Amino acid sequence: MTDCGCDKAKAELEEFLHNELSAAECADIREHLANCDDCSAEHLVGLTLSSKVKEACQETAPDDLKAMIVARLS
Amino acid sequence: MATSLLEAPARPSTVEWALMSDELSERRRLFHDQALPLMDQLYGAAMRMTRNPADAADLVQETFVKAFAAFGQFEQGTNIKAWLYRILTNTYINIYRKKQRDPYQGTIDELEDWQLGGAESATTTVTRSAEAEAIDRMPSSAVKDALQSIPEDFRLAVYLADVEGFAYQEIADIMKTPVGTVMSRLHRGRRLLRELLADYARERGMTASTIPASTARKGTT
Repeated sequence: MTDCGCDKAKAELEEFLHNELSAAECADIREHLANCDDCSAEHLVGLTLSSKVKEACQETAPDDLKAMIVARLS
Repeated sequence: MATSLLEAPARPSTVEWALMSDELSERRRLFHDQALPLMDQLYGAAMRMTRNPADAADLVQETFVKAFAAFGQFEQGTNIKAWLYRILTNTYINIYRKKQRDPYQGTIDELEDWQLGGAESATTTVTRSAEAEAIDRMPSSAVKDALQSIPEDFRLAVYLADVEGFAYQEIADIMKTPVGTVMSRLHRGRRLLRELLADYARERGMTASTIPASTARKGTT
């Protein structure tokens, strides 16, 4: 296999991150990341951004809302 | 929020009630088991959409009432979370976008990057590993504020992909846009978010190792 190169890797990193690539495409990106500090650092920024957004957005519905919905459905 | 939003849906006649009571109680049981556990998640999405707890609560309530009324059409075995998110998004668009017309509505996807503000140069002045570290140390409130300040369609795409983990095709179905538009919204939303977080970090001196981009690129880490 030949390295897919930074341009292709950078263009597809976001899809890679979101599991939107085929197994073969993922393998290409992984192979490139293993050998490229710049792209793997870029990937780390993307991963960190995703996990921070996920962490920040965790919410719990207020109890009175839960009770109100349950009451309206019964 | 106007009370008219929360009016009960039309109810069947007494005869229909009797005939359908078994079916209805089974439907209610399934709905309780499958849909209600997703309330926290839907509330989280509603908070990102409406940006305030009172409207988010109304939106979630309206979504569950509509979903229960339509639950007979839900195909068991398909993705209930995606189905509920479609109802949530439709409800949101119908109620809130009518109420407060977004001046950008319908044109946000056509705006050029420079019109959205921010600049790539802001993020290239620190090493990427320093940037990742700064993002990682960012308080949740700062991340939320940044998310709240990006255009709505971008925010929703980012939320659906990164928080809920929906596939691009599912997001396209929920937002009723082509997959290409989803990818563009996601990319631009994440880029704006990254720039806002970089600004935040810079303002607070969170980026200790500030190295010119040319040096950072070649750096061995």
